[in-house]
Formats: sequence, structure tokens, C-alpha cells
Amino acid sequence: MTRYIIRRLLQLIPIMFLISMIVFVLLQLAPGDPAAALEDNPNLTAEDRARFEERLGLNDPLHIKYLKWLGNTLQGNWGISVATKRPVLDEIGSRLPNTLRLMITAQVITLLIAIPIGIVSAVKQYSLFDHVSTTFAFMGQSIPVFWFGLMLIMIFSMTLKTADGGPLLPGGGMYDLRLYDEATAPFADRLRHMILPVAMLAMLGVGTYTRYTRGSMLEVLRQDYLRTARAKGQKERRVVLIHALKNAAIPIITILALDLPSVFGGAVFTETIFSWPGMGRLFIDAANRSDYDLLMGIVLMNAMLILIFNLIADVLYAVLDPRVRFD
Amino acid sequence: MSQKQFVRLALLLVGLFILAACQPQTVEVTRVVTETEQVEVTRVVTETVTEQGEQVEVTRVVTEEVEVTAVPAAQQEVIFALYQEPQILNPYIATQTASGEVNGAMIEGLVGASAEGDYIPVLAQEVPSLANGLVTYDEAADVLTVTYNLKEGVMWSDGAPFTCDDVLFTYEAIMDPESGAVSTSGYDQITNMECSDELTAVVTYSPFYAPFTGLFGSIMPRHATGAPAEMQRWPYNWHPIGTGPFKMTEWVPGDHITLVKNENYREAPEKPYLDRLVIRITPSREVGMALIQTGEVDFVWDLIEAVVPDLEGKPGVAVHITPGIGTERLLLNMADPTIDATDDPANNPHPLLGDVRVRQAIEAAINKDEINDVLLFGAASVGTGELNIGWGGAGCELTPSTFDPEAAMALLDEAGFTDADGDGIRECNGCETAAAGTPMRLKIQTTTGNQLREQAEQLIIEYLADVGIDMFIENVPSAELFGSWASGAFRKHGMYDVLMYTTSPGIDPHSFMFDFFHSSRMPLEANEGSGTNYMRYLNADNDAALEAAGATPDIPTRQQLYCQVMQQVQQDVPMIYLYNRAEIHATSDKLTGYQINTWDNQTWDSENWQMSE
Repeated sequence: MTRYIIRRLLQLIPIMFLISMIVFVLLQLAPGDPAAALEDNPNLTAEDRARFEERLGLNDPLHIKYLKWLGNTLQGNWGISVATKRPVLDEIGSRLPNTLRLMITAQVITLLIAIPIGIVSAVKQYSLFDHVSTTFAFMGQSIPVFWFGLMLIMIFSMTLKTADGGPLLPGGGMYDLRLYDEATAPFADRLRHMILPVAMLAMLGVGTYTRYTRGSMLEVLRQDYLRTARAKGQKERRVVLIHALKNAAIPIITILALDLPSVFGGAVFTETIFSWPGMGRLFIDAANRSDYDLLMGIVLMNAMLILIFNLIADVLYAVLDPRVRFD
Repeated sequence: MSQKQFVRLALLLVGLFILAACQPQTVEVTRVVTETEQVEVTRVVTETVTEQGEQVEVTRVVTEEVEVTAVPAAQQEVIFALYQEPQILNPYIATQTASGEVNGAMIEGLVGASAEGDYIPVLAQEVPSLANGLVTYDEAADVLTVTYNLKEGVMWSDGAPFTCDDVLFTYEAIMDPESGAVSTSGYDQITNMECSDELTAVVTYSPFYAPFTGLFGSIMPRHATGAPAEMQRWPYNWHPIGTGPFKMTEWVPGDHITLVKNENYREAPEKPYLDRLVIRITPSREVGMALIQTGEVDFVWDLIEAVVPDLEGKPGVAVHITPGIGTERLLLNMADPTIDATDDPANNPHPLLGDVRVRQAIEAAINKDEINDVLLFGAASVGTGELNIGWGGAGCELTPSTFDPEAAMALLDEAGFTDADGDGIRECNGCETAAAGTPMRLKIQTTTGNQLREQAEQLIIEYLADVGIDMFIENVPSAELFGSWASGAFRKHGMYDVLMYTTSPGIDPHSFMFDFFHSSRMPLEANEGSGTNYMRYLNADNDAALEAAGATPDIPTRQQLYCQVMQQVQQDVPMIYLYNRAEIHATSDKLTGYQINTWDNQTWDSENWQMSE
């Protein structure tokens, strides 16, 4: 097992190289460049722009650009954002905590809602509860997220009001700017600002995880060993929650592990609709202004996380299911 | 998985959740105590006393002197919604307009621009001009000398005095080859700069540089920045120190920037009236528009004409509109679009647009009034040229083109484009610029994702179809349209038919006019693609007029020359000016003291802002 993990980790190195090369070339081939932003400013002349391009090395050949970038990155220097002139790691560092706070909360709430619903649906298959929950699960999976988010804002921020005329729930931001700043914003106010974005994310996730849990449970519930457990005189509750869920959880945990990189990557739609300064918006903004170093940093971080969580999913599979062996 | 492992995993997840949720520490709010008073208060006290071994509840009235700390009066504040996050606040590195909105409340220059588009003194006592004797021009030696008398007693927000040395430093920082200032134009014409005393700056230009007044629009402090060569890495870039009414206390990336009253502002303590000006970053204009209706923000920056009917009349919202500097135009490529960046458009004309009659016909076929009424709700005005507002075009009357499809068809017939095969599209039958039988098919391109532009394209296609020209759309992302010479952008390389976008001259229109209409400013291999004469427009009279305008300090002469160029452009039609954009911002109706200004950032008069109750 240890040898397997070491082998997989070593394989990461060439894969990351390959990914970095492909992503770098794709970004550079995409039309546009950071100098396009200068176009909006009437006071800048063409010479100014030419100097800007020269200084950023925009006119270097592609392979030189890549080698420069690679050399810097290998020395731990992820580069400077073209737009903000701040180090890429600082940019990511300033957004990552916001994204983690939002995404982890949403993920936990999703699981807390979805797994019990999935279990009950499976145990009482074809009951009214099962039909209703399945319908809602499909709705959750198929409603466009941005539409749902806008509806939430319309209902809870614009239509419904508090006694003093303010919105019932804030439609964006991380805390009330009129009352607090980063240091003084209390937990309760931050929590209030998380309600709508978390609801939007959870509504997506609950549908998916309910379906997985139900399917996985149904498969396990048919198996012989559960009849054995019941025959032994185990209580039904214990049969379902311990004996059945343990095996049904294996595929769910695998899916969860593969889902976790998105916790770091953020949610573009949710962050955009609810003005949440997270990784998703950082990425979109960077893409819109062709901020190459920042884009590379974000994409590679996500690629790395996906590879690592894939490995974790594989390893977890072996740990959870003794029949699976890699060596 | 054993039960234990399962529990551990669950605990780990919950732990992560708590960690993440608690991450920003909650700190008790400590209020600023402004006044402490002794006040006599009367209150009812209930206490339990033990009396003769028996517990008795006693209620009594006590009067006592207590010290109360006054709660400060309600803070005056404005929340300003900005849909673009400023990336960097150094005025000589920043390229976005959004950066200017933020540093406009903190950073000042020697001169600024009024709402009418006139130069006004800010840190200088008066705007230098020939009239007040602060500008002298030695024609024989071709040396221009500009003297700035700086205001006395001005302090930086950190309390250090503002002197001529800071102006000198700003110049040094811009011109340092390592500093990476985005624009050096104008500053590179300075041959000498010196401080004759603490508060007098003398700047010498040679040769003559016409738009000198627009320079030194932001002054940076020598003591609170760093070495010029290090400019890209100055902490100042994210936390500027200025002489303006506000100073920064907090920047949470992606969320907000908090500015507070600068106690050292030269008009303090009366101004600024606001205690705080919070810049809130919203992901889009639409979010800002929703927030101003719920009262969560007080200012929404940079709105488009189409939203005016939605916002006007909404309770608590005031909409501010003024003619803007931007003009939406069609650029017509006069050179052969199949040749990469030709330097000889006269002998390689565009097969259709190379004939002036075709360009005139296109302009006559477009109903600009209808575009303005239908798409812009009448909030814009019909375009005539570059200098619709501001002093550059003062006194220059340009008549709008007349919508006349009949005249357009007559012009096309005359140019030798007729519809011989009866398919509704004209083709070349004896025209001068194309092979016989070439159909009149033109490609129009603009930026993707802009609904207004897409609608305008639809109308233009209909207008042109009515006179027998077939136009089709091929829109591209703005980064591609405005791409660089090196990236092979088709605009730079002249490989297009018709482009549509907005641009505008600065307060001093000279460099803009010269770059757009002088024949030497066509992007070419030889000049490494610099220049913005994308139409590859050639006119010797215009070249001469533009050169003359750049060589005289006399404003009326310059105005007359620019007017002459615009009149020529109206006849030659290298561009079709569709409409002049309106400048639109919305505020809370409680905000007073704000005057909309298309020539400057909207925070230009933030020291006058007040929130009425």
C-alpha cells in the first residue's frame, strides 16, 4: 500500500508538468492579452501600450515565455498578477479563506440533509416520502443555479423586508459594511450573510447526494448479509444505520472525495450572484483580463487538488473495502 | 470502515466547518469616546437584604451621579458600489477607470477637470496659462516654460507637508525606465524640471508640447513611497497616501475598500462632511442596481442608458445623467482587408469601402435618431464627431448626417454598385475599387456580450439591407478585438470591414485626434503596430492641420484646426459616429453635494458629499 502511494505521488510530477505546459499554451493561444485593458483609457497612446507589452514580455516567443514561467515557479515564485502587481500566492491567499468558509458550510449542510433523506427514501422505497424527495432531488439537479440565486435575492432581499424596512436577508457581501469592518464584524452577522449563498449551493448538492445515497442504499439493502443480521435478532435501526450504511457509504465517500477540490475552487455562479469574494470570482476576473500568472496559479492549484483527491479516493476505497488491494 | 473511523471522519468534517466559520475572529467593538459627562440619574433598584435573619426584597429609588460616555453622533457615510474591482491604486500604473474612482477620493493633482470640462486648480493656486503669465513660449528657441504656484499649508494624510519636491518626485518616478509607468506621454517632452522654492515648480518643454495642462493630474509623496525603480512593488500601490479628503483604512480584496475622513485635509475640519466612504465591490452593475433599491448602497457607478427607465422614479433613488465623452462609432476600413497592415491604402483600397461614395451611402442609410430613441431611450444624442463636448470642439458646429435611403441608393448607383441579378444585394457593375460582380457583403464586428451593441447591429443590418448592402455579424470578446499588434489582432493589422465600439478623447484632445487621423499613425510593421489610425485614413490637409495644432499654445487656433479636421472627416467618412454616450450614475436621493462629471472620476467632489436625513 505504501509503495502504491509513493508510486502514485511520483507520477504526479510528470503529470503536473504536462498539465502546466498544456494550460500555458492554451492560455497564450487564447485571443487577447493583458494590454487590451489599456484600450479603455483615452489618455494612453500607442507608444505607452508598446512599452507596456515590452515590459511584460508579451512579445517573447511562446517557448521562452513558458521556460521563464517554469523557472520562476520551480523556485517557488508563482509570479505577479499582471493587473494588481501583487504576488499570485497573496491573491489566492486573500480569497481562499472566504471560499472555504462558504463551500465547507454548504458541503456539510448538503450532507446533513441529503444522506438522511437518501436513507429514508431507500428504506421506504416507492412510499410517498420517496416520491416527493425524488421529485425535489430532480428539481434541485435541473433548476439553473443562477436563476435560483436571483429568485432567492428577489424574494428574501427585495420583496420581504424586516420591520425597519431593510432586506430580510442580505443579498450579497460577507457582512454589513454600514456597521462593521473586517475586524469587528460579529459571527451572527457573517452567518446571516451566508444563508442565501449556502442555500443556493446546498440546493444543488442535496439533489445529487440524495440520489447517490438512495441508489447506493437500495443496492446494499437487497444483500444477503442484511437478512443474516436481522436473523441474528439485530434491531432494524441498527441493521440499516450500521450494517447497511457502512457499505453504502463507500461509493458516497469516493464521490465526496472527488467533489472536494471544488471546495477550494469555489463556485463561480454563487460567488458572482452574491458578491462573495472567493476563488471562483478571482478566476473569472483573471480570465477576463488575461492575467496569465494568476490564471496559471489557480488552474495548477486546482489540478493538483484534483490529482491528490483522486489519489485519496483510491486509497480510501482500499481502506474501506478490504476486497480491494492495489499491490 | 469501523464505527470509530466513521466518527472520526465526521468529527474532522465538523471541525473543519467550525474552523472555517470562526476564521475571522470576532473582536469586541470598542467605540470612540468623544465626550464624557457627569449626569444625574434616578433609577429604581430592587435588592434582597437579610434583615434579622430573614430575607426581604426591598425596592427603593436612588439618585446618583454617574459618568456616561457619549455615543458618537450617527456616522455620515456613503457606500459606493463599483462593479470593477480596482486592481492597483497607483495612478501611474492603474489602467482601469475603477481605480480612478477610488483614488480620486484620496489622491489629488496640480490641476483637475470641472464638470464643464475646464481645467481647475487643485494643488496649484491657479491653472497656468498664457493669460496669467505662468506659461511662456519662446518661439525662436522652441521652449515652453510652465510655472506652478502650489497652495500653501497642504499636508499629506499622514501629516507630512506637501512641497514642490513631491511634484519633482512624481516626475522622476514616471520617467524612471524601471518604474513601469503606463504612460509617459507628455512627461517625455519635459527637458527640465526644478523647484525654484518649496512651493514653486518650473517645468520646461522643448519642443513645444500642446496638451501640457493635462499633466501632473496626480501627485505622489516622496516620503511615503519608495525608490522610482521599485515603483511596481511600492506598498503605496495598495495603500496610497494622498492630499485628498479621504484616506484608506482597509481593503478586503473582492469585497470592499474602506476610506475614512482625512483629518489633515486642507479644508478640515469642515470638509469632508462624510466620516466614511466605503467602496463596495459588486460583481456586476445589476447587483449594484438591486442594492441601491434595497438601500444597501448609496451610489451605483457607471450605468447604461437602457436601465434609466427602470431606475427613474424608484423610491429613494436619484438618477444623474449628463452627456458623456464616449462616442459609439463604426470604423470603416479603407484599405484592402486581405493585406496584412498595408502602408499604402491609396493603391490597395478596400473593394467596397475604398470608395468614399459607398461610405457616405452607408452613413445616409443609417437612421441614427431611431437608434437613439429605440435603444437608448433618447438618453444619448446623435453622434457627429469627436469633439461634441469639451473645449477642444468649442465653437465647432457639426451638423448630424441626414437619414436618407434614397440618397444612399443614388450614391451607390453612381459608384457603380447596382443590383443587376435582382437578388436584393448590389454588386460591382463598373465600380472603381472591386472586381466586376463582387457582391456588397460587409462584416461588422464588435465586442460580445454587450446587448446594446448587438441590438444596434441588428438595426444597422436592416438599414443597409434596405439599400441593397448585405451585412453580417461576427462579434468577438473585447480582449480579442482590442488585442495587441504582437497578438495579431485584426484591428491592429487592418483585417476587418467594419468595427463598432466606443472611445473618446481626453480633456485635451490632441493626442487622440493625432493618433486617429494622422496618416503616420496607421499601425504598420515599420512602427511595430503603434498608432490608432485603424481606418488607414489618408488626408494631407488633415495631416497638416493636426501638425499645426500640436505646435501652438494658442487655444483658439487649435480649436479652429481641430474643427477643420472634423469637418473633413465628416466628408470623408472614415468613421460613422452613431451616438454620444450619456454618463449615468445613480445615487441615494439623500446624497447632496455631488455633481456628475464626465471629465473626471465621480469622487472628484467627494469632500462636498453629505447624507441628509
